[in-house]
Amino acid sequence: MVDLTLEIRKTAKELLEKGEAKVVLGWEKGNFPYSTTPVFIDKPEDTERLIWDEYCINNLALYMLDYKHLDGKVGIFVKGCDSRGINRLVQDKQLDREKVILIGLSCPGMKDEKKAKELGPNADIPMAQKCQDCRYPDPVVYDVFLGEKQNKKVPEKIDTSDVEEMETKSPDEKYRFFTTNYEKCLRCYACRNVCPACNCKECIFDQTATGWLAKANNVSNNMFFALTRAMHVGGRCIECGECERVCSVNIPIMLLNKKIIKDINFLFGDYDAGLETEERLPLGGYDYTDPEEFM
Amino acid sequence: MLVVLKAKLKDILNTLAEEYKVLVPAKIEDTSKFISYKDNVDIILDENVKLSPKDVFFPQTEKMYKMKTVKTSMELENITDEAGKKLLFGVRSCDMKSLDCFDQVFLTKGYIDEFYKNKRDSVVTIALSCSQPMQTCFCSAMGVDSQKAVGADVQAYDLGDKIGLEAISDEGSKVIELIKGQLTEEGAEVPQPGEFYLKVDADGVSEKLNGMFESPIWDDVSKKCLNCGACTYVCPTCHCFDISQEVRGENVTKYRCWDSCMFGEYTQMAGGHNPRPTKKERVRNRFMHKLNYFPDRYNMLLCTGCGRCINVCPVNLDITSVIKQIKEAE
Repeated sequence: MVDLTLEIRKTAKELLEKGEAKVVLGWEKGNFPYSTTPVFIDKPEDTERLIWDEYCINNLALYMLDYKHLDGKVGIFVKGCDSRGINRLVQDKQLDREKVILIGLSCPGMKDEKKAKELGPNADIPMAQKCQDCRYPDPVVYDVFLGEKQNKKVPEKIDTSDVEEMETKSPDEKYRFFTTNYEKCLRCYACRNVCPACNCKECIFDQTATGWLAKANNVSNNMFFALTRAMHVGGRCIECGECERVCSVNIPIMLLNKKIIKDINFLFGDYDAGLETEERLPLGGYDYTDPEEFM
Repeated sequence: MLVVLKAKLKDILNTLAEEYKVLVPAKIEDTSKFISYKDNVDIILDENVKLSPKDVFFPQTEKMYKMKTVKTSMELENITDEAGKKLLFGVRSCDMKSLDCFDQVFLTKGYIDEFYKNKRDSVVTIALSCSQPMQTCFCSAMGVDSQKAVGADVQAYDLGDKIGLEAISDEGSKVIELIKGQLTEEGAEVPQPGEFYLKVDADGVSEKLNGMFESPIWDDVSKKCLNCGACTYVCPTCHCFDISQEVRGENVTKYRCWDSCMFGEYTQMAGGHNPRPTKKERVRNRFMHKLNYFPDRYNMLLCTGCGRCINVCPVNLDITSVIKQIKEAE
């Protein structure tokens, strides 16, 4: 990864020097051995800050929303999940593909920062949950590729064993599980704000005057938020797991998202969001063959 | 110093629970916070809780009063707190310092916030010293002594397999009196704190910020911020709230709840104008408030170095780096 860091810096430097990109998005080292932080480089001499190591976990795609109106192109380093995030934004008509230069990196799977904090400096740090579940470590779209692809053998279908386990529980058990989890939700909205699929100009939950959702923190309001968000990203969730990673109270957010993915796969055929940008979304259109038992 | 074996801590808490509603730092549902003491709770003494005890004094959602329309008039009903004294055991110096900050906001300058005061007056505190700071801790840089908390009724010391207790206030002496029979006198010394991993030099940062409202560093610092409220909600000193109401037919409940300066609607005005339209203005306000406006008004920083914001930030926007950047700015 050290060699690739040098290549990353070189590539970013060239893009900026030649004026092909106005700014390059990547990662730089944080204050801890186990932390990195997104960095926005606009001067060739600052490219030395860029790094590539086993903690470059942030999905950078959503930052493209901040550069929508930039006069010029943005260079962005993309792992598998980041590239699916870019496709998400392009397909949702939030980003002009021509305005980004995607520099692909094959992701070996990033380490779990939370565990690293708990286990201390000399421990063997496990891979982050979102990376354990990842089926697309190589970027699905890119303009330039650095390093070598892993072409790693990954499971063909999403692992929904945790969803299936939950499905076997009684309604009371399910209710208890979700209420206990959403009781502790702080409604800090980190899950929403980090999500590339949450790209609405104005979120329903920010429209306080309408009274859709009261600001009071209680399990009913919190679940209304969580369920509405889960349904809204249904069919568009790219499974990057960022929502669950950033949750400050460790709510298993992906369980809901995976349940919806599983149902969509069953009802509309297997679908992995963010692999391409042309196909119609499973919940984004109507077909005569669509199941409609409820009618 | 009066000491007790950590293994016998629950005996003491059981005794205290007869007199007080005891709250302890505990692991719960894959996080940790102060919860009501019961025999089976998983008390943590080796690190601070992930969620600060601020909600004991300043709940995330707090009902203020009720209203009911009766024909052409209106009836008001006060909401009273549950009676009885609470005892908060194991509060770290950083979180005790945050109560000092809260006291300034809610109890000084000629205005008393009754909701806060009622809760504050009903709580007795046993502070606990830290033997080993967590990696994200930097309290000493913020002028907090990890071994001796401000405003505690009793100061407890982590002595390895034992806990030493020292009464500070009259309230604290009453607490010690209750458990005296379960403590033994030993010649223990106040322990030395461990080494801090994060090195921060905050000297002069407040003064430096005086001329930095328009500094270009805010563009740079704020770029990665997602404007979620995680940092503000886990922060023991952030105290902004919003007042709202629940209307059900003729019944109205007024409540206040935590708000966050990271949110767009925080400064959204009725006419549609927003004086803090982007993340730059919001991030600037957060750090200016903590490091400049608050010290200016109350002569203390609005950051106690607990490190919780560093722990939860989705993008690792680290306040210690921001302080460094401010100090290095031209």
